[in-house]
Amino acid sequence: MKLIAVIKKEYREIVKKKSFIISTILTPLIMAAFMFLPVMLMKMSKGEKTIQVADYSGFIYEKMMQNEKTQSSENKIPGKQKGDFNRDYFDKNTRAEGSKLKFNKIATAGLAAEELLKLNIQAIRAKKIDGFLLIPTTIKKDRKLFYYSGNISDFETNRYIQAAIRTVVSRQILIEKQINPEIVNEATRDIEFETIKVKKEGTAKSSAGIEYMMSLFMLAILFSILMGYGQLIMRGVLEEKNSRIIEILISSTDTQHIFYGKIIGIGLAGLTQVAIWFLFGMALVGKFSMGLDSGILNFLTLEIGMYFIIFFLLGFFMYAILFSIVGAAVNTDQEAQQFAAPISYLLIIPFVMGIMVTQSPNSSVAVISSFIPLFTPTLMFMRITVSPPPLLQILSAIFMSLVFISFLAWLGAKIFRVGILMYGKKPSLGEILRWIRYK
Amino acid sequence: MNEQALVLKDLVKDFDGKRAVDRISFTARKGEILGLLGPNGAGKTTTIRMIMNIIAPDQGTIEILGRPFSEKMKNNIGYLPEERGLYRKMKIMDVLIFLGELKGLQADTIRERSRRLLQQFDLNSYEQKKVEELSKGMAQKLQIIVTILHEPELLILDEPFSGLDPLNIELVTRILLEKKKEGVSIILSTHLMEYAEKIVDSLVMINQGRKVLDGKLTEIKAQYGKKFIRIEYEGNSAFMSGLDYVKGWKDHGREMEIELIDLADKNRLLKELSARVSLNAFQLTEPSLQHIFIRKVNEGVPA
Repeated sequence: MKLIAVIKKEYREIVKKKSFIISTILTPLIMAAFMFLPVMLMKMSKGEKTIQVADYSGFIYEKMMQNEKTQSSENKIPGKQKGDFNRDYFDKNTRAEGSKLKFNKIATAGLAAEELLKLNIQAIRAKKIDGFLLIPTTIKKDRKLFYYSGNISDFETNRYIQAAIRTVVSRQILIEKQINPEIVNEATRDIEFETIKVKKEGTAKSSAGIEYMMSLFMLAILFSILMGYGQLIMRGVLEEKNSRIIEILISSTDTQHIFYGKIIGIGLAGLTQVAIWFLFGMALVGKFSMGLDSGILNFLTLEIGMYFIIFFLLGFFMYAILFSIVGAAVNTDQEAQQFAAPISYLLIIPFVMGIMVTQSPNSSVAVISSFIPLFTPTLMFMRITVSPPPLLQILSAIFMSLVFISFLAWLGAKIFRVGILMYGKKPSLGEILRWIRYK
Repeated sequence: MNEQALVLKDLVKDFDGKRAVDRISFTARKGEILGLLGPNGAGKTTTIRMIMNIIAPDQGTIEILGRPFSEKMKNNIGYLPEERGLYRKMKIMDVLIFLGELKGLQADTIRERSRRLLQQFDLNSYEQKKVEELSKGMAQKLQIIVTILHEPELLILDEPFSGLDPLNIELVTRILLEKKKEGVSIILSTHLMEYAEKIVDSLVMINQGRKVLDGKLTEIKAQYGKKFIRIEYEGNSAFMSGLDYVKGWKDHGREMEIELIDLADKNRLLKELSARVSLNAFQLTEPSLQHIFIRKVNEGVPA
């Protein structure tokens, strides 16, 4: 009963905190922004781009337009159609929807390139046009053209223009060499590049970029909540120690009740928060699935959600115990920060390794480190999101973590019991370890 | 039934090779107020922490209400630690409910009792306020409420008067006497001997970890007899050091306790005093606890 009283108090104290309420609301909003933003940005930024073309070569613009005409008159880029390599290329690599590029040819007769350039740069600055494409007469020989724009980091547009013109030039060269047009068509056909994710059951089309981002995003959430709650627990314990409430608590109940009650109570608060996010995420995905990138949809499965909760809990208990030991052992916030630093490294290491794991989830380093209990919560979860390891591996890592947590809890309760009543000087690590042997 | 509320036998505690508590033994009877007296650093708090099982003694035994310490017993003891603090961000009622539940009470019982006690301590309008909004004195009173909320049989109070103004010292004293009437045993640790003197039934004096004196207050005082003279005066007392028949004195400014080598010299002293200062009172009295303590410490004899 007393254990429940401690759990209840710790739970309520956290849940009523402003920071809890704010982060509970804010995180899903950031999450939503992260999920919808790429699609929305593409739509917004590519609403319609007007690009002026000064074609000194005399053939590029017309040939490009011939290719375009087979499509809608609006130059809608995606909308895949066999034979139109540009669209295919574009579709595969960017999954953009509704992007429009509008090419306007401007008269070049009797005008020097310098003069045209000056005029168009002014137009770009005035935002009358989005870009200016200067195709020199020497394009066939030099294979070089110039593109001026306020936004040159729009790789999608850059690649589109580059690819389209490369093809036009190649075809022109081949045709001038009297190659059979059919062979020319054959030779310059686009190569489809389709990425397919191998899942435990079946395969799903997915874009590698978004998958990678989602994995890292989940890792970041995991990292920040483990860190956040760890710090919260540490400060709570330190407050009880410094305000000496701990003496009242100890004179009322067993220290183990205080220690476990605290960790369980705060753990439940954390679980509440994650559950809210989880439900929010499900609702979001359910309601707005059409607005979402299919890569994200494929990623955010129920399974991933379950694993997230499991590994959140494992990580939570490990780090909660470690941070509460620190809180009990030290006397001031400064000392707490000093001792907490190495624990933070224990979290940062797998965070950094997590980035590597997303790239090569089955490398031996990734596999082995995902079995180190302190790293399991982050790294095993990473492996699952990127390329699910065999179930046996997952289960044994979970089991090992549970054993480790039991050991840590036993150890923690002992150190907590002694440390929480030690005032005065900063303890050394050796002293803290000696506390384990106190009765 | 066992008549002892608390029995300590040969308690020893060392900290880093320094002996904080050195073979302290004493017994507190049920239903009495026992004063654990001594200057700061004498070992009072260490002794109390051992009684509360917060730290383990290196040697010796402790029996509470006739039994060795047990987890179950905690619901029967009210403990006010020396250093105070409560969850600053929590509301008063929430603090009381949490700490009450830790003592095994039901939330409804706690609410009911808390309202009564808050009223009694003049804190009833603060029920929904946060602890950090209370003044120091109010927080102190709240802490005393926490200590007695579960109606324990034994109260252990470490410096209960510190931080209280005279009005609240009155209030706390009254509450303690009420509790005593209800049959509650009280251990009261304090360095403020003049307050202790007014309410304790028996006392244990400790200095530098050792017991120097213990017994019933009335008996101890009787031992010293009415050999002291208490005066109230106005004027300059510098002449006192020139009086060779005075053994010692303690000057409080407007009050003085004087001990004579031979009480027969009291008229001589009165004459001297009347000539030197304006005298408002002159009476034979028992020595104050403070005086007894200083005597005992100077004698250097462990009792």
